[in-house]
Amino acid sequence: MDPRGPAPQPLQKPEKPGRVRRRKTRRERNKALMGSRRPLTRQDPPVTCQDPSVAPTAPKLVVITQGRLSREHRGLFNHEVKSLDVARLLSCESLEPGTPSVPTKPSPSPRRAQEPAPQSRGKENQVPRGSGPGPPSPPELPGLGQLLEELQCQLILPQAFPRRNLVQEARDAIVSTLQACHGCVPDLTVVLRGCQPPLPGTKPGGPESRRMTPSWINSPEPAPGEGRQRRQQRTKELTFAMPHTSSTPMVHRVSLAQPKGPWPPPLPLLPSPSGAAWGPPTAFDLLKSIWLVATPPPPRPWGVGPQQPVPQPPSPLLPGTSALDWSPSPPAPLPSLSWVVAQSSPEAWSFPPMRLY
Amino acid sequence: MDGPVRSRLASLSDFQFGAVATETIEDALLHLAQQNEQAVQEAAGRRGSFRETRIVEFVFLLSEQWCLEKSVSYQAVEILERFMVKQAENMNRQATIQLREKKEAQNWKTLKEQLFNKFILRLVSCVQLASKLSFHYKIISNVTVLNFLQSLGYVHTKEELLESELDVLKSLNFQINLPTPLAYVEMLLEVLGYNGCLVPATQLHATCLTLLDLVYLLHEPIYESLLRASIENSVPSQLQGEKFVSVKEDFMLLAVGIIAASAFIQNHECWSQVVGHLQSITGIASESIAEFSYAILTHSVGANTPGRQQPVPPHLESRALRATASSNT
Repeated sequence: MDPRGPAPQPLQKPEKPGRVRRRKTRRERNKALMGSRRPLTRQDPPVTCQDPSVAPTAPKLVVITQGRLSREHRGLFNHEVKSLDVARLLSCESLEPGTPSVPTKPSPSPRRAQEPAPQSRGKENQVPRGSGPGPPSPPELPGLGQLLEELQCQLILPQAFPRRNLVQEARDAIVSTLQACHGCVPDLTVVLRGCQPPLPGTKPGGPESRRMTPSWINSPEPAPGEGRQRRQQRTKELTFAMPHTSSTPMVHRVSLAQPKGPWPPPLPLLPSPSGAAWGPPTAFDLLKSIWLVATPPPPRPWGVGPQQPVPQPPSPLLPGTSALDWSPSPPAPLPSLSWVVAQSSPEAWSFPPMRLY
Repeated sequence: MDGPVRSRLASLSDFQFGAVATETIEDALLHLAQQNEQAVQEAAGRRGSFRETRIVEFVFLLSEQWCLEKSVSYQAVEILERFMVKQAENMNRQATIQLREKKEAQNWKTLKEQLFNKFILRLVSCVQLASKLSFHYKIISNVTVLNFLQSLGYVHTKEELLESELDVLKSLNFQINLPTPLAYVEMLLEVLGYNGCLVPATQLHATCLTLLDLVYLLHEPIYESLLRASIENSVPSQLQGEKFVSVKEDFMLLAVGIIAASAFIQNHECWSQVVGHLQSITGIASESIAEFSYAILTHSVGANTPGRQQPVPPHLESRALRATASSNT
């Protein structure tokens, strides 16, 4: 009422002196009211749109459009025109609309910290304005790993799924499967004991597999020296093998276009006797070969193993730090991977090009 | 108890192996391997992770509630983890800069509170984004998300939801189609099927999913066991822990460990055959496959393990056995 009150007065003022009787019709009054309201409607767009680029278009006479877009149908976000908002979201500098958010208290200030390329400009990245009442930053900031650990520990998740424990559910499922398949939970150390058989005698498969796998698997076991060639022939796996090595010759990929099923030995005899055919070790293998020096073969001088000593190229994974080096005082060649692998492989293993994969 | 798990697995009954041409499989496998190689190399410089059982469980359960595929839940975890690491990096960097320039004193409490206040919103955004990478008809709508948040007492607007998505996207430089170990598992199962593995791939697949869930849920404990096994149960140094980060990012290794463990659960007799196949396909030493699958299995059976073994004695035992075997041969 207040805003309307003073508005009609100036209109009536010139008439008052002429006539005492009030003879304004309703239509006239409405006209007067319309005239006084217009400025109010014009004030809307700047308030709601908040986009300077739109402001120049606001004074247009198309009031209906203005009202529809900026008031009644305010677009996707209920207070802005949709197209404007998308432009704002995609633009680099974000214009924080300052919408109230009840529980999360988003920082109302615009996010101005422009980090290069992939930096997040999320609100949580903002440095809090003003030094809070809390303690100032410690002289030594915690490391990233430590910070992440802290965050994980202190995070409070809502109880959205009560009475659910996925770990226990999954464990129950595994145990029940084990019991269904084996009658009980078997001794798991069989897994570790069983890591040797596939290589020497029991090629993948066993008695049953021999029925399925091609004849070249059924053939009598070769001398250890032949193992590699046979392995290369054995299955098309080897054509699949070495996906790790980007440097792996694509020769190994030959003849993959075989029909489904056990594959004949389609590959020509691959000459590579080296470990390259097996591919470089994984990071896990590499680390183990460094860390596990507890049982090197016989006590002989380091670097003089039963196998041929293989030069070790520098590894990007393992810098020459002494912390990782367990070797005795002369940190000469470690018991190399060749020895480790040779323990589980009858084939000669030459140290592959030092790549993680 | 098994109901939800079973229902999730039931949706996989129409999963088909052996329907793709070998050339395609080969290319896909090579691509995965290259991707993995790159990921392992990049992980060498990473100094932290954000995978905690409660958080992963929350994502899994939320995905289950919204009937999302398993791959979506894994991807959501990956996205969330990368995003949170980025956030922590940014916090750290900004604080360091401010400390150096002696500007306003940093208040870690405030920074962390800001992060915590937005965490659920970010988590949900990650799941929503992951759903958008999956089937279009399973995309989680904003209304669904807002209703869920409201049921937990978080009131947000659609705009905030969209901004949250955008924050995640920009933070990750719009690179959210992250690889998950499931792709490796399924690819290797496909190859195993072609190579004549005795255990049916579909049978292995179901168990693999449960095991993969467990590895996600118990990520730290399982890799801790593996690390300890690789250093003979001595206390790992900080440097060793940092170097081991690259092992944690080796999805190929994880996939072979999962499949081997699954083969052990399903068909114990064929286990060595499966390991042999996996070794031939990936070039990963059978010993490593065995160690990883052992770590997974011990954590999978939990307290039900008969005479639960610690990783080290069996490890040494296996070495002794291996040495004996090699001396015999």
